[in-house]
Amino acid sequence: MDAFDLEVRRHVYLAFASDGRPPSAGETATALWRSLEEVEKAYRRLHDAHALVLQPGTTTIWMANPFSAVETPHRVECAGRRWYANCAWDALGIMAAFRRDGRVESECADCREPVSLDVADGSLVAGRELLVHILVPARRWWEDIGFT
Amino acid sequence: MVYLRSEVHLARWLEANGWEPGATLTATKMWELAQRWWSTRLEADWRPRLTGASQAILDDLGLAGDFWQLA
Repeated sequence: MDAFDLEVRRHVYLAFASDGRPPSAGETATALWRSLEEVEKAYRRLHDAHALVLQPGTTTIWMANPFSAVETPHRVECAGRRWYANCAWDALGIMAAFRRDGRVESECADCREPVSLDVADGSLVAGRELLVHILVPARRWWEDIGFT
Repeated sequence: MVYLRSEVHLARWLEANGWEPGATLTATKMWELAQRWWSTRLEADWRPRLTGASQAILDDLGLAGDFWQLA
């Protein structure tokens, strides 16, 4: 991953963290004073490197893990802002990435009843009774990251 | 990767979808894993983590066995 791709990736994450949504390739190009074509190529390389995930056949960002650009059942409130996470792991990952306390509001995959988890002073203080299930073995996580 | 309220809910969810069980973690364990896995994600000098380093995180947390092998 070269310096430009790292710069693009850094901009995507900082924008996602501050705005609650990822920047389009055009927005990133404007912010970095680069051409749209250069940024779109960088987005595709970052996708291939699993540094972010694009919507199939586009340069629209779907995931910059742990953040999700689309609505999911996993909502996170942290550092005074709200995001969607891609999965149960990523939901806790948003608080871990910010190193801040916060709350996850989600649902039981079986009964769809709401569940919540709270982190306070760096510890999980609510939702400790919940389970997290991972269906896909680790070496296959990126075969279909949406399902994983 | 989903939340479930109990082992009963987990078993019912797997059966309803016809899925084989994967791995189940407590939420507390998942919080430990999340901190180790994601804590550097927003750092300005972030660099891709090598597979071996990611595997070491899983190993350190006792997530052993073929299911947890990244490569």
